[in-house]
Amino acid sequence: MFYHNFKYAFKTLFRDKMLIFWTFAFPIILGTFFNMAFSNIENSEKLDIISIAIVEKEENEIMKQAFETLSDEENEDRLFQTQYESEERAKELLENDEITGYLVLLKEEPKVVIKSNGINETILKYVTEEIMQNTEMISDIVEKRVQESMQGYPEGIYNMPNVENIYEDVMKMLEDNQVEFKNISNSNLSYTMIEFYTLIAMTCLYGGILGMTAINHNLANMGNVGKRTSITPTSKGKIIFSSLMASYLAQLIGLAILFVYTIFVLKVDYGTNLPLIVLLSLTGSLAGLSLGIAVATLIKANENAKIGILIAVTMLGCFLSGMMGITMKYMIDKNVPIVNLVNPASMITDGFYALYYYDTLDRYFLNIVSLLIFSGVMIILSINGLRKQKYEAL
Amino acid sequence: MSNVIEVKNLTKEYKTLKAIDDLSFEVKEGEILGLLGPNGSGKSTTINCILSLLKFSKGSIQIFGKEMTPNAYDIKKELGVIFQEVAVFEELTVYENIDYFCGLYIKDKKVRKQYIEEAIELVGLEEFKKFYPKQLSGGLLRRLNIACGIAHKPKLIFLDEPTVAVDPQSRNNILDGIKKLRDNGATIVYTTHYMEEVEILCDRIIILDKGKILAQGTSDELKELAKIEEKVTVEINQLEDSMLEKMKKIEHIEEVNYTENTLVVTYNKGENNLGNLIEFLKRENLGYSKIYSERPTLNDVFLELTGKELRD
Repeated sequence: MFYHNFKYAFKTLFRDKMLIFWTFAFPIILGTFFNMAFSNIENSEKLDIISIAIVEKEENEIMKQAFETLSDEENEDRLFQTQYESEERAKELLENDEITGYLVLLKEEPKVVIKSNGINETILKYVTEEIMQNTEMISDIVEKRVQESMQGYPEGIYNMPNVENIYEDVMKMLEDNQVEFKNISNSNLSYTMIEFYTLIAMTCLYGGILGMTAINHNLANMGNVGKRTSITPTSKGKIIFSSLMASYLAQLIGLAILFVYTIFVLKVDYGTNLPLIVLLSLTGSLAGLSLGIAVATLIKANENAKIGILIAVTMLGCFLSGMMGITMKYMIDKNVPIVNLVNPASMITDGFYALYYYDTLDRYFLNIVSLLIFSGVMIILSINGLRKQKYEAL
Repeated sequence: MSNVIEVKNLTKEYKTLKAIDDLSFEVKEGEILGLLGPNGSGKSTTINCILSLLKFSKGSIQIFGKEMTPNAYDIKKELGVIFQEVAVFEELTVYENIDYFCGLYIKDKKVRKQYIEEAIELVGLEEFKKFYPKQLSGGLLRRLNIACGIAHKPKLIFLDEPTVAVDPQSRNNILDGIKKLRDNGATIVYTTHYMEEVEILCDRIIILDKGKILAQGTSDELKELAKIEEKVTVEINQLEDSMLEKMKKIEHIEEVNYTENTLVVTYNKGENNLGNLIEFLKRENLGYSKIYSERPTLNDVFLELTGKELRD
């Protein structure tokens, strides 16, 4: 019975032209556009090291060190050519188009001065903002450490924080921060690669539509075929499991085509991490499918409404996980970490970032396990929702 | 004959609307029971409740002596359902569709293959095995719908208006197929609003309206409920009111109706009513083009019970 349902669920999915387009063709088309759009940017980036000036109006050690790292002449992939100038001189250089822009270091937020809008100007602004975010993160940790060292004392009597230790901690953080920048530049993590990871993650989660379609064929309130299937003597567990496996196989074929296309046609270099990227994609796809099945079984609405809900949930998850800007991920981690713990999009992106930002695979595998747990919970909820299911109206 | 289905006090409410109102009936083994009623009378809702697809507010349903629930797989394996709307996969061929649904009941591939061929032969789709549903006409699609519901040889079959929007050839084919299923031992519940179909097919008929049983029995038993015994229809041009009044005085005439050049005379009883009417028309020198006599139909029964036509 399992194989019978699996075989026909797979056939119906594979012969659905709309599904085939969104699952197989759309990611390939999107990947091709990414490649066309971003490869030129990357090529021009490699040729141009951005010349900037820094005006040290006030002391801002973190910002200064970060830009020094990114301007390290020993690094072939360095982003900037930095010179320290007075504000007058920096203005003059900018007017004469000798620099892309200059940075006025202030204690709080540095000021970025540019003359026009362009790729180099955008990179300068983006990098400055990123460093600001990292600085904020370090400040938060320092503040937390100070508070921790003051805890356990009666009100009014404070344990003086060990300034020396905290300073060392901060400096270690700074070092880590620098290492992080180095790691990024060493691992070929480019804008194009980030977009391809986003594309893979999106493809994984959009597999939910496959799972939803396969399950809808078995729900009485989703149409006539569902009514007919519902009165057969087939257990709901078998139906869900075989439909899940059929949609998973279809999804994996779609992912395989995407990988083959990006590697052999678009010449995307996934580096030595390819097996781990594939493993994360397999797990992410399972989570996406399970989410689709859960939405299909637990939400009582028509098919279009369910698809709308699934896409909205997926897009929101992607947004909160930082797929459209990494700052959001940090904000969520800082303010409502629970959201990222239950968000499969966040688990996938975090897994990808973990491959590049960490020397060990602990965090990567933590995300894999989290995705598996998420999938398991969704499947159990779906089976439970289907059992003893009767409808108020059909 | 034992009861295959026992429905007791079934009530289904949608907020303020009572779709089924305290319905009780039985279906006996080997019979074809017709549920006859206009659209919205509660026929499909009753079937969906019996199949445990719909929640109901009150009552009990037993099939083969056991309570019907969504997980009653031992009951479900003996059921076949042909829904009002065509329920097939657009992405599968005729053969694949029947194989898929049959395979959810019959594991043995060899047996299944034989059953599928028999079902295809029963509905006359031998030449269309490799066709996709979108390549079939409405009538052929309905036949496929039936094949998908009966290929596994169920003991109890529900047919919910299977001939709606079907051409006469396919309709005859479907009705013949249903008779064959009954002859092979299946018990059938057949819903329709076509009275001619229940008269041809059904051993017993339940007339439903607004979720209530108005009457039940065999076709003849139901017709006895009607006040009229004979209906004579005459196509006649220009009949004056005075002549109609004169006609009403003829013995056993219940009612006289003249609209659009058609005269309908109903009789409450009596013999040779047609002869007497022809005599009257001759005597009054009234020419007519066509005259024929009918026994009352189920529509007349329905009209009498509810004051409206079955197809209203």
